[in-house]
Amino acid sequence: MKKQTEARVITFTSEAEMPMMPASMASTLYNKTGSWRYMRPLYVNKTPPCNAACPAGEDIVMYLQLTAQGRYAEAWETIVRENPFPGVCGRVCPHPCESECNREHLGGAIAIHCQERFLADYAAAHDLGLPMPDVPQRGEHVAVVGAGPAGLSCAYHLRRMGYQVTVFDAGDKPGGMMRLIPEYRLPKEVLEREIAAIVATGVEVKTGVRLGVDVSLDDLKDYAAVFLAVGQSRSRRLGVPGEEATGVLPGIDFLARVARGQRVGLGEKVAVIGGGNTAMDAARTARRLGADVTIFYRRSRAEMPAIDEEVNEALDEGVRIEFLRAPVAVLTENGHVRGLRLTEMELGAPDESGRRRPLPVAGSEYEVACDTVIPALGQVADLSFLDAEVKSERGRIITDEKAATTRPPIFAGGDVATGFGTVTAAVGSGKRAALAIDCFLRGVERTFPDLAQNVQAAPRPHDAAVVRFEDLNTAYFEEEPRPRQEQRPAAERVTTFEEVNLGYGEDAALAEAQRCFSCGTCNECDNCLIFCPDVAVLRGPSDDEPFVFNYDYCKGCGICVSECPRHAISFEEEVKFAET
Amino acid sequence: MIEIRIHGRGGQGAVIASQVLADAVFQEGRYVQAFPAFGVERRGAPVMAFTRIDDVPIRIHTQIYTPDHIMVLDPTLLDVVDVTAGLKDGAWILINSTRPPHTFTFPDRYRVATVDANAIAVKYRLGPRNAPIVNTAILGAFARLTGIVSLETLCEAVRSAVPIHPEENVAAVREAYQQVAEEGR
Amino acid sequence: MKKVVTGNYAVSWGARLARAQVIAAYPITPQTSIIEKLATFCADGEMEARFIKVESEHSAMAACIGASAAGARAFTATSGQGLLLMHEVVHWAAGARLPIVMGVVNRAIGPGWNIWTDQNDTLSQRDTGWLQFYCETNQEVLDTTIQAVKIAETVFLPAMVVLDAFLLSHTSEPVDIPDQAEVDAFLPPYRPELKLDLDDPRAFGALVLPSDYMEMRYKIQKAMERAVGVAEAVDHEWGERFGRSWGLVERYRLDDAEIALVTSGTVTGTSRVVVDELRDKGLKIGLLKVRMFRPFPHEKVRQALAGIEKVAVIDRNISFGDSGVFAQEVRAALYRADKRPPVFDFVTGLGGRDIVPATIREIVDYTVAHDAPVEEFTWIGVKK
Repeated sequence: MKKQTEARVITFTSEAEMPMMPASMASTLYNKTGSWRYMRPLYVNKTPPCNAACPAGEDIVMYLQLTAQGRYAEAWETIVRENPFPGVCGRVCPHPCESECNREHLGGAIAIHCQERFLADYAAAHDLGLPMPDVPQRGEHVAVVGAGPAGLSCAYHLRRMGYQVTVFDAGDKPGGMMRLIPEYRLPKEVLEREIAAIVATGVEVKTGVRLGVDVSLDDLKDYAAVFLAVGQSRSRRLGVPGEEATGVLPGIDFLARVARGQRVGLGEKVAVIGGGNTAMDAARTARRLGADVTIFYRRSRAEMPAIDEEVNEALDEGVRIEFLRAPVAVLTENGHVRGLRLTEMELGAPDESGRRRPLPVAGSEYEVACDTVIPALGQVADLSFLDAEVKSERGRIITDEKAATTRPPIFAGGDVATGFGTVTAAVGSGKRAALAIDCFLRGVERTFPDLAQNVQAAPRPHDAAVVRFEDLNTAYFEEEPRPRQEQRPAAERVTTFEEVNLGYGEDAALAEAQRCFSCGTCNECDNCLIFCPDVAVLRGPSDDEPFVFNYDYCKGCGICVSECPRHAISFEEEVKFAET
Repeated sequence: MIEIRIHGRGGQGAVIASQVLADAVFQEGRYVQAFPAFGVERRGAPVMAFTRIDDVPIRIHTQIYTPDHIMVLDPTLLDVVDVTAGLKDGAWILINSTRPPHTFTFPDRYRVATVDANAIAVKYRLGPRNAPIVNTAILGAFARLTGIVSLETLCEAVRSAVPIHPEENVAAVREAYQQVAEEGR
Repeated sequence: MKKVVTGNYAVSWGARLARAQVIAAYPITPQTSIIEKLATFCADGEMEARFIKVESEHSAMAACIGASAAGARAFTATSGQGLLLMHEVVHWAAGARLPIVMGVVNRAIGPGWNIWTDQNDTLSQRDTGWLQFYCETNQEVLDTTIQAVKIAETVFLPAMVVLDAFLLSHTSEPVDIPDQAEVDAFLPPYRPELKLDLDDPRAFGALVLPSDYMEMRYKIQKAMERAVGVAEAVDHEWGERFGRSWGLVERYRLDDAEIALVTSGTVTGTSRVVVDELRDKGLKIGLLKVRMFRPFPHEKVRQALAGIEKVAVIDRNISFGDSGVFAQEVRAALYRADKRPPVFDFVTGLGGRDIVPATIREIVDYTVAHDAPVEEFTWIGVKK
C-alpha cells in the first residue's frame, strides 16, 4: 500500500523533530509552480506527409504503428475504414505517400505499399471480412453507375453509413479498369476477393447495364441520389493514316482481351505507342505472349507518366523503348499492319501540362517493320449519355468539391470527373462522393477540401499542419536502409503471368513498420514523460489519451516539445492576463 | 626469531614459497609472517620474498635486512643480485643448481647447499619445461637443511596451498628433501 | 579457524562474515586483492552478495550509497588516489547517514607516484564524517571490519577500516577467522530508519535550507560523539564473544612511564619491540596506540597521557604547512588537561620508507635529549 506523502510545509522547531537523514518528510505539491507558465504544451497530433499525400485518405501512420506492434488485423481494419482495396492499391498504386515520406532523408522512404499489401494478404490469409459499423439502416436508396474503384468505393462507404445501394455496370463483372491490370501486377484472386467483400456488405450489383443504352439518367430519378463513375473507357486515337488496319489494337482492348483469357495473335514484332502505365502493361503483356516489343514515346524518359518502377521492370524484361519518336503512318499490306513510319521528335517550349512540347524533326522520318501496333495514348470518357443539365468540360463531368454535378442529386467522381487515372485516386473520389451524398441526404452542411486533397471517412483528431522533416527531432532516429522487396527474376517473368513483386514477409513488414518516424502522431515513446523536469507529464486515462499534462506544475519550459521526436506536442502562448 | 629471504625471478613462485613455509611453521605452533618485497614485479625480474618465524607473537612490521638464511631459486641471479647482503654468519645459502656446493665461492662464514630443483620440477611436470616451478622442491631441501619445519608438516602445507597437482608438488618436496647436497656431508 | 592470510584477505573475510549484501569496488594497488577475493567469494556462492563492477572509485561509492539507501549492507575498499577520486561521495555517504564500511589500504599520494604506505590519503578524509580505525595486525583488521559494521549501523555513520600498504595488505599473518554463526549472533541484519521504498516514496539527499542544514550537521556530530561509547561497547562485546578486544586506544607499558610514544598502524608493533628493549635498559617508556581516530577519543587520550612527562607522536603523514596530523589531535586533546606534557612530533616513514627499530630509537633519543620541542615537528630520516 503506497503511502501518500502530505503536501505541506513543515517547519521544524527543534533538531529532535527532524529526520536523521536528509530525506523528504512531506511533498512540495502544495507549491503549484505551473502558475509561472507563459507557454503551454498541448498534445496535438499533426498530419503525417504520407497521410496527406494518400489519394485514398488512408491513415498510414496509424496502421504502420499497429503493424509495428504486431497488431495486423487492427492495422488492416484501419486501412479498410478508408479504402476497401488495400490488396489492389498495395500492388498497383504509384504510392505518392512514399514520395513525401520524411524517412527518405534517413535511409529511404518507408515501403508503404509493401506494408499495405502485407496487411491485405494477411487479411486474406486469415479470411477477415470487412467490419461494418453498427449504424441504423437508412431508407434512402442510392444508384451508382460504374463498378470501378470509384463506384465500388462510393457504394462501400454509403453502405457503412447505412444507405441502400445499387451499382450498375456495363461490363459482365464488376471491377472496371482494375480488371485490365495484368495478372503479373495484380493477381485476379486479389481483386475478386476485395470486390466480393464489398458486395458482401450488402451492395447490389447489376452488370450488363450500360448507361445511355440500357438505362437513361432519367430512369434513375427515383433514386435518392445518383453517383456517376463510368470512368474513361475509350482509347485515344493515333490520328495517323492506316489506323483502321487489322493489327492495330488499342491498349485497353488488348489488355481486356488478355484479361478475359481470349487468344490474341500479335505476330513477332509489336510496336507500342505511348509512355503511360497502359503502354507499360501492354508492352510487358506482349512480352509474356512471346513478342519482340518496342515502345515508341514522343518525349524523353523524364516526361514519362508511367511509374518509374514499371518502366524499369519493362526494360529488365527486354522491352525496348525508343524515346522522341512519334508515328506518322501505320504501314499496311492487304489491309494488315506491316510496319510504322516514324518521325524523330525534339522537345520545344513547355505546353499546358508543364512538360516540354514534342515537335517533329523535319526530314527525320523512317520506317520500322512490325506485325502489331498497340496505341496506348490514354483514354477518354464516353459522355454520350449526358443530358444538357449535367455539364461537362474537355471530356470530363464538371463537379464541385462535394462531387456534385450541375444537376442535383447527381454526383460524379473517378476518372469521368477527375481524370486522375489511378485506382487510389478513384477510391478517394468515390469516398468523397459517399460522404457528400450523406451530407446532402441528411441536409448537413459540411465543407470539403478541394479535389486535389484527400478526404477521410474516419479521421483521428489531428491538426491539418503537415509534418516536415525539419519538425522532427532526428537525434532520436538512426539512418536505416529501406529493405528490398523480393522480385521474381526477369528471365522467369517473361515466361509467366505470375506476380512479379513478392511483397514482404512478416519479419520485414514488422521491421519496416518500426522504421516509421510516426510523424506528428504520438506512439507513446515516453520521451515527454521521461524528460519533464517537473513530473508534470502523467499517463493518461486511455489509449486515445496516452499522456496528460498536469498544468498545476507544468512551467512551460518546452522540453517535452523539443524532445518529442515526432512533433506531436504543440506549444502555444498561455492566455495569462484578462483583457481589460 | 628466524628471518628467511628467498631470491627468485618473477613467476618462479618465491612469494608462494614464503607463504607455504610460513603456513607450515604456523601449523607446528610457532608464529610467522610472510611477505613479498614491497613493490612492483614482473615476470623474469629478480624478486624477493620473506618469512619471519618466532616462538612468540611477531609484533615487528618491517622489512627483513639481516636474514638468517637465504634460498636462491635461480642460480643466474648470483651474477645479478648480491644475495648475501645483510646475511648473518652461519647462514644457509640454498641454491637451485646442478653444481655441487663446493663449486660456489662464498665466504667461509656461510654454509652452502644445492639441489637440482629444476630437474625435480620437470620430472613432476610442475610448470612448463622452459620455466619449471621450483618453489615447492626448494622448500623440501630447505626443511632438510634447517630443520625449521618437519617434512610431513611441510608436505601438508604444500598440499593445501597448491591448487593444481598437489601430489606432484608433494613428491617434489620429498625428492628434494632426499637429494639436497650439503657441503661437508 | 586459524589461517595464515594477508591483511587484504582479512578485510575480505571480515566483509564476508559481516554478510555484506552489495559490494561495489574498483581495483587499485595495493587494495586489489581485497576485491579479487570478495569477487571470488561471490562467484563461488560463498557470499550472498551482489558484486557490482564499476568504472571508478567515485562510482563504487555512489553504488554503495544507492545500495545502502535501499537498505542493503554495502561494502567497498580502495586506496590512495582512488580514495581521493571518491572524495565527493565520501562526504555524501556520511551526510546521508549511510553506514557503509570501506576497507582502505593506506597508500601515499602522488606525484611522485608511489604505491607504498603512508596515512595522508585517509587523513585527508578526516572531516568527511566517517569513522576511522587504524589497524596494527591482520587479526585486528578482520575483527575491526566486523565491529565497524555494527558501530556504523548503530550510529548511522560510515566507517573506514585502515591498514598499511604491504606491511599489512600483502603480509601474511596468522588470523583466527571466527565462525559465521558466532558473527551472526554478534551482528544482526541492518535495519535502516528510512530507506528507498516504493511504498513510502521520499526524496533522499534533496535540498536542505539554511533554516535546517545546521541541525543536520549537529546530528552528525552528535552521532560521532555517541560513536565513542558505541565503539567501546561493541569492542567489549566482541571481547566477550571472541576473547579479543582492541580498545579505542591501547596503553602499552604506560603506567609508570615518563615518556610516551603515540603511534598508529603497524608502527605500533615495531614500537612495542623498541619499548620492550628500552624498558630492559631501564628507560621508563610506554606507548599509546590510537586505534580509533574518528571520532577522536579526546578523553581517553587525555587520561592516558596524564602524568606523562614527554609525549612523542610518530606521524606517518604530514599536513603541509603545519605538522603531523596525529600530533595536532593529541595536542588539541591535551589542551584541556590539567597538566599538559610537551608534545614532540616526528614525521617519518612517508611513501613507504621503512620505519625500523633504529628509527624509533632515534625518536626516543631525541625526546630524551630535549626538555621541550624546539620546532613544530621534527623530520626523521630525511636525507639532508
